Amino acid sequence: MKNLEELKEIRERVRKNLEMRTGDFAVKIVVCLGTCGIAAGARQTMNRLAELIAQSGRTDIIITTTGCAGFCEQEPMIKVQEKGKEPVTYGKVDTKAAEEIFNQHVLNGQIVQKYLFTKGE
Amino acid sequence: MATNIQETELTQEEKFQQLMKFIESNREKKGFLIPALHKAQEIFGYLPAEVREFVAEQMNIPVSTVMGVVTFYSFFRMNPVGKHNITVCMGTACYVRGAKKIVEAVENTLGIKPGETTEDRMFSLSIQRCLGACGLAPAIMIDHEVHGRMTPQKLEQVLELYK
Amino acid sequence: MDNYRAHILLCYGGACLSSGSDKVKVILESELEQVELHHEIDIITTGCMGTCELGPVMVIYPEGIFYQKVKPEDVPEIVQEHLLKGRVVKRLLYKKPEKEQLVAMFNDIDFFKLQKKIALRNCGNIDPLNIEEYIAADGYLALGKVLTEMKPEEVIDIVKKSGLRGRGGAGFPTGLKWQFTAAATGSQKYVLCNADEGDPGAFMDRSILEGDPHSVIEAMMICGYAISADQGYVYVRAEYPLAVERLSQAIEDAKKNGLLGKNILSTNFNFNLEIRMGAGAFVCGEETALIHSIEGKRGEPRPKPPFPAQKGLFDCPTVLNNVETFANIPYIILNGPAEFASLGTEKSKGTKVFALAGDINNTGLIEVPMGIPLGTIIYDIGGGIPNNKKLKAVQIGGPSGGCIPIEHLNTKVDYESLKELGAIMGSGGLIVMDEDTCMVDIARYFMEFIQEESCGKCTPCREGTRIMLNILTKICQGQGTMEDIDRLEQLAYDIKDTALCGLGQTAPNPILSTLRYFRDEYIEHIRDKKCRAGVCADLIYAPCSNSCPASVDVPAYLAYTKVGQYQRALKAHLKTNPFPAVCGRVCPAFCESRCRRRDIDAAVNIRAVKRFMADQVENYKDAYPDKKEFNGIRVAVIGAGPSGLSCAYFLTMLGYEVTVFEALPKPGGMLTYAIPEYRLPKAIVNKEIAELIKYGIKIKTNTKVGTDITINQLRQEGFQAFYLAAGAWDSVFPPIEGLGSSKVMSGLEFLSRINNGDEIRVGKEVVVVGGGNTAIDAARTALRLGAKVSLVYRRTRSEMPADMEEIRQAEEEGVTICELQNIKSVSENNGKLDVEMIRMRLGEFDRTGRRRPDEIPSSSFSVKIDTLILALGQKPKIEEMVNSESLLLNPDKTIKSDSNKGRTSVRDVFAGGDVVLGPATVVEAIGSAQSAAEEIDCYLTGKKEEQYYPWRVKDPIEVPFDPEAEPVSWGREEHYLIPVKERKGKVEVEVTWNGKVAQKESERCLRCEFKEEEGL
Repeated sequence: MKNLEELKEIRERVRKNLEMRTGDFAVKIVVCLGTCGIAAGARQTMNRLAELIAQSGRTDIIITTTGCAGFCEQEPMIKVQEKGKEPVTYGKVDTKAAEEIFNQHVLNGQIVQKYLFTKGE
Repeated sequence: MATNIQETELTQEEKFQQLMKFIESNREKKGFLIPALHKAQEIFGYLPAEVREFVAEQMNIPVSTVMGVVTFYSFFRMNPVGKHNITVCMGTACYVRGAKKIVEAVENTLGIKPGETTEDRMFSLSIQRCLGACGLAPAIMIDHEVHGRMTPQKLEQVLELYK
Repeated sequence: MDNYRAHILLCYGGACLSSGSDKVKVILESELEQVELHHEIDIITTGCMGTCELGPVMVIYPEGIFYQKVKPEDVPEIVQEHLLKGRVVKRLLYKKPEKEQLVAMFNDIDFFKLQKKIALRNCGNIDPLNIEEYIAADGYLALGKVLTEMKPEEVIDIVKKSGLRGRGGAGFPTGLKWQFTAAATGSQKYVLCNADEGDPGAFMDRSILEGDPHSVIEAMMICGYAISADQGYVYVRAEYPLAVERLSQAIEDAKKNGLLGKNILSTNFNFNLEIRMGAGAFVCGEETALIHSIEGKRGEPRPKPPFPAQKGLFDCPTVLNNVETFANIPYIILNGPAEFASLGTEKSKGTKVFALAGDINNTGLIEVPMGIPLGTIIYDIGGGIPNNKKLKAVQIGGPSGGCIPIEHLNTKVDYESLKELGAIMGSGGLIVMDEDTCMVDIARYFMEFIQEESCGKCTPCREGTRIMLNILTKICQGQGTMEDIDRLEQLAYDIKDTALCGLGQTAPNPILSTLRYFRDEYIEHIRDKKCRAGVCADLIYAPCSNSCPASVDVPAYLAYTKVGQYQRALKAHLKTNPFPAVCGRVCPAFCESRCRRRDIDAAVNIRAVKRFMADQVENYKDAYPDKKEFNGIRVAVIGAGPSGLSCAYFLTMLGYEVTVFEALPKPGGMLTYAIPEYRLPKAIVNKEIAELIKYGIKIKTNTKVGTDITINQLRQEGFQAFYLAAGAWDSVFPPIEGLGSSKVMSGLEFLSRINNGDEIRVGKEVVVVGGGNTAIDAARTALRLGAKVSLVYRRTRSEMPADMEEIRQAEEEGVTICELQNIKSVSENNGKLDVEMIRMRLGEFDRTGRRRPDEIPSSSFSVKIDTLILALGQKPKIEEMVNSESLLLNPDKTIKSDSNKGRTSVRDVFAGGDVVLGPATVVEAIGSAQSAAEEIDCYLTGKKEEQYYPWRVKDPIEVPFDPEAEPVSWGREEHYLIPVKERKGKVEVEVTWNGKVAQKESERCLRCEFKEEEGL
């Protein structure tokens, strides 16, 4: 990066992408992967989700990570963002819950009430 | 998850080589003794006399100074430890949420007390003051992995992963 | 796997298997073979997919179609339609529930609504390892602005104006620190970041480093520019491997993108950043110790001045701020100092991150404006205390901080107010402690921490904390003396004044603050050898027994019940409590709330076992403890309620001759007159009293002390000591109009008249006001008289002091609970009562830690009813009784008694039960009778030896027990209640178990007493 202008360019480009929330993807899954998340099993959740995506053969689903959202009690937490929709946050997502959420929500667009924590930003 | 430890054993000589390289490439940095000791412990598992002397010699620091630093910090060990290091958090949050029971459970399951290592050199037990996973108290850390919301029952399952 | 064109994932979890997924698989395989698809399509059986109620379930990839409730007969259709023709079988698709549940949006949840995120603005929102996402969130823009548009002194000015103070503990103004360092002479300067987050209970720095590492890097560069430093170090503790990993990655990424290094953003600003890992020394959080550690030395602190701003790292001027402080900087630069300063209080600006942990529902990290009340943090954001437990204290500020008790929930949290309360902001670790926490043990815990972490350089910290730890350990073991408290206090002040560094100077804080707010508990440990929380192992026999006000040997009677020896079970009970059948029906069972079985599944149903066990024994005679020979001394007890009768019983056991004087026609006090028949049949009360009379207690009813006979006359008759247990029979009324009507009565009056057999016509509509057990009893009794009953309470249902089980039963039976309402006035018109009601809302926290109910202006409304019953509390009414004695009373009319041990201001008069405690439970009344009996004996004989009192001695339990055996697997058996429609008149609601059930439930006991004896 050479100067401030270049920084601002990157900012605009990435921001546009993020505003669409999912970028080029149909669904983006964000896993909270801080120490508390990991301690509650977020890594296993994340691995399971990655497996499920691979099994599904879908290339338009992406999984990314973020830090601690602050609500440790609900860890592991994941956020499912579908293109053009409000993000949905799930709490206490173990591998089993991840499978359910993947099958029902990520693949079929239906929110899994059982694990639903909040909707919106 | 439990197997991210390097299984291929280096020879003693290779280990010293590795440590020397690390010190060499950071020679110009100021106050580098503690990072060097961290590296040494990572390579050797602990800091026996010959390693301490080696570091002192390489960094041109009196052995007594190295010894003073090693003894000051509880993280540095002068005795070998097991393959997996179990750290039970005794931070306040874990303490009020029953960390004592977790320590007892480890003691009962593995037959070792804090500071000790199992006979098969698989597990060592230590106590830490806070792992910063207070939201999931009580917590333990095995090697670099933190496990939260521990109960004596869950502990046994977790230990299985490392056996 | 690559050869297959489709995969069928078939759930083989336990639930799906039981609903037939194995059969589905068999059919599927044969169907696929028939259409020759078996080489193209792979069937994978999976573990439970979690949708058990929809099983058997399968997912067909690549489409990811989810089929539910697949029966074997559905398989041919799936194969034909879906796998051959590619048409989805719609009827097997997952169906959305009819109505989508209403789900709170992020901003509607208190946890988020009350927060304001500045330091944590990116945590949980961006990918910490993706520098571009940070840039998209305005990352490095503040740096760009500073480097291209501002002079260093302008940067410092902005930070000063923002009012930002150090978030690591002491709260020194950040801008000022930067200014001093900028002004110091020296060509080399350093920026250090303190990420040695050592305070147990604080994890915000870790979270920021893990979730938003670039914000710290950017801020350190801004600081570097402001003070002209080109080198920075982040000192991270070794216990945070993930934070180290992420920060290293972020530094690498910043370097790659030209944001660290030389000529950053084409300016002539250079900055280099390194990570230094701590090595497990708490003292390194202290700034001079941290600097020594980065220099590669032992992390010992040194005296200040010189301050690091003049002489810091390698003796160069140095700024040292903590992670959270830095994380605020980019925001302040971009949004201007005024916006930051608009938040918070006069001297504490902006927000503060707190780590909520301990006994609280919503554990986690929160960021709130400074000045928010502590109670709001705990109840609104934190969601309160789990398992309906009571909040005891909040520990804030780690080992240098203090414990704030429940009385101060209204404290506006900022640097100054916390200091006033004897705590400190520290790094913001906030540990919530419920009633199961022993405050002496907590003080001991912190002292152990400090002792271990003391670097040993100065004597006050090294030796002083060791002595304090020894004293505290002694107290926790029940070996303390009252002088120890003074020594602790003295030492604490000495260490505060003389220790070298901040760590040592603040080390005594946990002791000073617990002594300030919880001195009672220290005294209890020392004098009564009691740990009310049941934590200090040397002072507890078993947690159940320890929490019982009468110290009943619960493990003993459970063990004997288990093996069918009911007589022995009863014997173990009668040693400490002569009312097993009564308590088996009405005890709130404090024991169950402490039962260790809760850690496995749920508490043993102790009360139901007790009820069963007592109901099995026809005759108590052989189960009573032996009486000592008559010692020739006569004692008078005033009041034949549970406390009076129990005290008479204990004294009889010791060889005294006791006469109980009762004003009313029947003995039993509240048991007879207040508690309704459907909860406590009078036959049960009468039986247990009759047994006591057989044991040797004399009861004189219809004798009112004070009017029929005075205490002085009794003295002349030869009674040498007196136990006053006259109860709390006077009802509390609110100061409102119209209470004179005959349709208005107190709960106690109503209940006692019913119990006396009076006929009362309550009419069709009854309102009961109150939230305690009397209110619930009155409401359910009125209901049984055929009325429609509303229970009005000024707080919310969950705050009702009544037993939750009673509240539930009342609701089941049809009592309507009207929460957050109160009565304003009453008037009688045309044979009806016009009651004006007003709605309430919960306001600030009062000294009991509950929210005070406040009236909502102009929200009143009126109801027409037939009877109004007021159950708002009771107080003793004993003026007449004691007017000749110089007995001191409390403002609430209870008797002044030394720590509820029974002594009063008159030498030979002792007191206990409700007359001292205010309205309390039966078992508390019995407990106070026990200690009073000891005091009376001690007064009369001049000696006191604990082992002399039979109720203090725990006999070995002669039931075999294998501590190695696994606890039995079955769960708690609940109380047996009769169906709601059968609950009429006097019919008892609860039914006694049979032997099989009681024995099985008793087997769930973990025999905590056994383990502890072995451990000695």
